[in-house]
Amino acid sequence: MKITVSINIGGMAFHIDEDAYTELKIYLRNLQRYFAKEPSSAEIMSDIEARVADLLKVRINDYKQVVTIQDVREVMSILGTPEDISDESGTGKVKAGNVGYHRMYRDPDNRIIAGVCSGMSAYWRINPWIIRVIFIVISLPGGLGIFIYLILWIVLPEAKTTAQKIEMKGDAVNIQNIKDSVKQEFDNVKEKMNL
Amino acid sequence: MNVENNKAQMRKGILEYCILLVISGNSCYASDIINKLKEAKVIVVEGTLYPLLTRQKNAGLLSYRWEESSQGPPRKYYELTDKGREYLAELDKSWDELVESVKLIRKK
Repeated sequence: MKITVSINIGGMAFHIDEDAYTELKIYLRNLQRYFAKEPSSAEIMSDIEARVADLLKVRINDYKQVVTIQDVREVMSILGTPEDISDESGTGKVKAGNVGYHRMYRDPDNRIIAGVCSGMSAYWRINPWIIRVIFIVISLPGGLGIFIYLILWIVLPEAKTTAQKIEMKGDAVNIQNIKDSVKQEFDNVKEKMNL
Repeated sequence: MNVENNKAQMRKGILEYCILLVISGNSCYASDIINKLKEAKVIVVEGTLYPLLTRQKNAGLLSYRWEESSQGPPRKYYELTDKGREYLAELDKSWDELVESVKLIRKK
């Protein structure tokens, strides 16, 4: 069972898996950011959205009613990333470098204790056992590692949502996402404090 | 210097010309243009087309009209303006010249 979201792309309604939604949202924002320097960026984006809707429409039917992450990835590879487009049209001198928004979380999917080491390894893209061994080694003499581990357990949030898991791995994320996640964090704090 | 880069530059050079050529045949919807260009291996990713179409439209080479579609929201059909046709005629001439130039040099 999965949660789906309903979205409107180019005037068409779609049910889409939550992970697919996150990926599509990030993709469209990256494109939007890339085209921002064009004088008619809004028009370009609405044309592209219409095309995305066309491409998604042929991927759903009565027996497969929900857009999956596989569908979104296919559509992305057909339309191309900002880098592909820039390479091909040659007019985009500015490389569409993504600000990889990247933060450290505890990784609940690969945890041994609380996911501190696996979260750190996802952040640095290394094998989690490297960090685990370091923690074990510095824990042996006086238990310093255990102390640091406990602090990190408290300080690092757990990556619960799909968006957080993407941030944890530092996939293509942009300025807008930073704004969003700052806002999200602010909302979280507000919620916690019952403001 | 690398050959891939050189080939890519050549393709980029004729991309806008090819778009105008496709549209000159018949007024067409974006996906018709995409299919033709992909078939001719001028583009690989579709996203390349949209900013170019918008630029050509802004330059007054193209215009579009909305047309109802049986399968969804109305679609944009592009066609060449008079200015677009003149522009295309210029490019046609220039292309012929280029082909002639290369032919001439190749023979020697």
